[in-house]
Amino acid sequence: MKHRLPKSILTAVYLCLWASTGYAGNEDETVCFESRKGSSEVIQREIRPGWPNVKCSPRTAGVLWWGDPFDGTIPMGDMPIEAEYSHAEAVVKPREKQIDKNKLLTICTTACHDGKYVPVPTSQQARPLKMHQDIVPDSMDLQHGRGAIWCLNCHSAEKRDKLIDHFGNEISFNQPQILCGKCHGQVYRDWREGIHGKRIGMWETGAKKRWWTCTECHNPHDVQQGTRNSGFAQLRPEAAPAVPKGMKNMDHEKHVEHGDPAWWRGVLKALFGGDEHGTAGH
Amino acid sequence: MKIKKTEQKVTRRDFLRGSSSLGVASIAATAGLMANTDDAHAKATWAEWFQGNYRLMTDEEKKEAAQRLENRYSEEFGKQVTVDTTEATDGVLFGYALNIQKCIGCRRCVKACVRENNQSRHNSEIEWIRVIRMEKGSFDAGKMDQGYPEDYGVQVGGNSYRPVGVVLEGQHYYEPDKVPEKDAFYFPIQCMQCEKPPCVKVCPVRTTYREPDGIVVIDYNWCIGCRMCIGACPYWARRFNWGEPNLPKEEMNPDTHYLGNRPRMKGVVEKCTFCIQRTRKGRYTACIEVCPVGARKFGNLLDPESEVRKVLDRKRVFRLKAELNTYPKFFYFVD
Amino acid sequence: MKSFAYLLTDVIKYGFKGDIKYKAWLGFLGIFLIFWVYGNYQQLSQGMIVTGLTDQVSWGLYLANFIFLVGFAAAAVTVVFPAYVYKHEAMHKVAVLGEMMAIAAVIMCMLFVLNHMGRVDRLWHMIPYIGIYNWPHSMLTWDVLVLVGYLLLNAICGFYYLHQKYTGKPINKSWYIPLVFLAIVWAFSIHTVTAFLINTMPARPMWFHGMMPIKFISTAFAAGPCVIIIVFMLIRKHMKFEIEDSALNLLSLTITVCLGIALFLTMSEMVTEFYHPTEHTFGLRYLVFGYQGLGKLVLFFWISITILVVCFGMLLSPTIRHDMNKLPYICAAVFIGIWLEKGMGLLLPGFSPSPIGEMTEYYPSFIEIANSLGNWALGFIILSVLVKGAVGVLVGDINYEKHQAGQRG
Repeated sequence: MKHRLPKSILTAVYLCLWASTGYAGNEDETVCFESRKGSSEVIQREIRPGWPNVKCSPRTAGVLWWGDPFDGTIPMGDMPIEAEYSHAEAVVKPREKQIDKNKLLTICTTACHDGKYVPVPTSQQARPLKMHQDIVPDSMDLQHGRGAIWCLNCHSAEKRDKLIDHFGNEISFNQPQILCGKCHGQVYRDWREGIHGKRIGMWETGAKKRWWTCTECHNPHDVQQGTRNSGFAQLRPEAAPAVPKGMKNMDHEKHVEHGDPAWWRGVLKALFGGDEHGTAGH
Repeated sequence: MKIKKTEQKVTRRDFLRGSSSLGVASIAATAGLMANTDDAHAKATWAEWFQGNYRLMTDEEKKEAAQRLENRYSEEFGKQVTVDTTEATDGVLFGYALNIQKCIGCRRCVKACVRENNQSRHNSEIEWIRVIRMEKGSFDAGKMDQGYPEDYGVQVGGNSYRPVGVVLEGQHYYEPDKVPEKDAFYFPIQCMQCEKPPCVKVCPVRTTYREPDGIVVIDYNWCIGCRMCIGACPYWARRFNWGEPNLPKEEMNPDTHYLGNRPRMKGVVEKCTFCIQRTRKGRYTACIEVCPVGARKFGNLLDPESEVRKVLDRKRVFRLKAELNTYPKFFYFVD
Repeated sequence: MKSFAYLLTDVIKYGFKGDIKYKAWLGFLGIFLIFWVYGNYQQLSQGMIVTGLTDQVSWGLYLANFIFLVGFAAAAVTVVFPAYVYKHEAMHKVAVLGEMMAIAAVIMCMLFVLNHMGRVDRLWHMIPYIGIYNWPHSMLTWDVLVLVGYLLLNAICGFYYLHQKYTGKPINKSWYIPLVFLAIVWAFSIHTVTAFLINTMPARPMWFHGMMPIKFISTAFAAGPCVIIIVFMLIRKHMKFEIEDSALNLLSLTITVCLGIALFLTMSEMVTEFYHPTEHTFGLRYLVFGYQGLGKLVLFFWISITILVVCFGMLLSPTIRHDMNKLPYICAAVFIGIWLEKGMGLLLPGFSPSPIGEMTEYYPSFIEIANSLGNWALGFIILSVLVKGAVGVLVGDINYEKHQAGQRG
């Protein structure tokens, strides 16, 4: 099989290498993630003297504080359902830029999935895709819907830099809620009202806020999170409070046996150590 | 006789003079001991020392006080610090709602609050928000025959006591690798901005009081450090500056409010102020913004369209320690 | 006015004079003052971080001693009340000594409050009109009011009485007696208000019950007379002043009855709280049995209860109660027992666990202990000087004529 790789592929590879080195950034830069680790990174910089755009956690690399909540945002655009929120000043952080940080998305579409090099799949049978495990780990085992949906239910077969709904309409990566809300209607309604999900910015009704879109928090390829069935990946927590003065540690709160032990056990424990159930020095 | 009279007068005057100068000298000495020896600090500190209670100041005096503080802070922290004195807006009553169904116990709210509000970082480390880890119900058949109370309980069998839903038996110092853990849920607690605050009632000098927009504030320059309020708060929301706060210059947030996040001094009480420096200018609090799961909601309780009112409308809401009739404006809800 | 100034100077001078044992006593107390100066300097300059207090346990050794000493101050009424209401002869002679002890006790209380304040330099904020005095809402303002009032009442009544003895003039009963009666009622109020200070906080369920004021009064009247008895015995032994047995017997009877009431209240608290323990019982459980594995106070609690029960049993017997050899030791034991139960044993469990369930323990720092011991020492120096000086006036060792003779001569 002597296929010579088309020039477009080679260009893609070279561009990839170039883009990845450029994007890694210097070691001096502090990079932290806004919501999902690995897919929502920002670089800390000063907006004005003494005022950074974000403050990062040294322990978990999560963003703790936004200097400018609207940094890097664009207007959310029209929403398909007219409601009170339609008059609100909503901005979003474009996901396309984040997803396309290696410029691969645009290249992919023109280089490979142009309908010629890689044929457009016609079968709508749900099947695991051997390719793209670099983008979607476990692409052989999509954790979304338990077999009820598969890749091409959301992704456009022809234009890989767009999402698609069941009518065939293209949906931008910047507005995933239009797609997600088709199945997750209850949550979508709560999200529109501001009860579900996250907003930063100004608190007044209708004032300028950055609305966080679905895929900023939820990984659509792994919403189940294995047996956790949670929809949201676990995070590393921030540090516990400092141990109060005079206490060596706060281990005693871990070993609490609830309910009332026999009262004399408690006295013995207090006088001689051990736990309240007779085992000494626990 | 004449000699005796003058003797008497001198004695009385001397006595009065002596005792009053002793009194003034001791107060001054005490203040001198307590003031920093730094020059700029000392100058501003004396003028500050004589200022009155913020709530009773005229607008002029408030601006003066803020200006004094701006000068002091800017010099101390090496950057341009602003001390805002924005008043409460009419028709605004701040309310807060926290979704304990969603909270994952990541403590980013705790650390974001610290980034925003200029707390002391070490010795002592102050955090206004405390997240409690509570165990879920995992009833253990192995304890069924032990009876309650154990060992000689009258009621043996049919019980496997677990502290399900018991706030007062939660853990504060949990530090797992990942949250949320399978067997736990999480309960953040901070100042409830009560409508009937016990802390305001016990303060002997009215340094802590409730502002018209509902936020319970402290005038840090008026607090005498008696800590009655810390004793009276049922939610353990208030913290004390036991020593001079340690706030590194690089970490200081220069946008401050007089009643909010301006750097405090030793011997005064502080607590969550619903980020008054942000909320009076229309912005969300730091804890709202950072919560990665969107568990926290905030807004104007008097606006029926606000997010927090919608939560009150549609979700099942409860208040912590409601039986104490403190009427908190911080509500907990579940989906 | 002149005679009053001379009275003060004479009393103080006489108060510092004495035999070698007395000087040794003052010297011993003086040692604590050295540490007291150091401790206060550290605390005023660095702030309260030098103490062992935390946000969880924010009231500690200082307020524990304050609460105990307010009781001691109120206990002067056990001398004054029988003297003036029942016209108890023996007590009448020594009533002024009770007032002197009350003055010393109130000064000690104020010293402890000053040590407790985070910003002593801002206390002028409490002065009405210059600052803000949040009366009647804040219990602390009531406490300041009654303590200052009590100090003034005792100072006025006590020194007026001494002054009239000093100058040989009669006492003007038309305003003196009503003032004394006011002081008697006021004594009850200082300790009741102190109880209200802690029992009006629903955040602290261990204290939040109506039993607190009566518990305070009964323990105060059990502990205070202990010191009064010991002081009277020392005066009898070392000075020419006759204090009749009937005075001491009345005081020891007061101790017995009040100790009985206090123990009864303790017992009823235990039964009520432990019959069906609730979350509100955690503090008391920490004190009595330990909680969550922490129990530094358990030993002190049981020692205190043992001492008090044994001493109560002994005091019930009139033979032992009137035995002047055993009585001072029993009194000392009762004093210590009540300090353990009412000072540390009442205050600290109110903070462990915290209102949101965090269980911590408190360890006073060296500076805290130095300041506390220094306050006690200073208080006892004042007490010794005033009482000795007052006895000097009562026996006639110092009076106005002698002073004037001394001046001319």
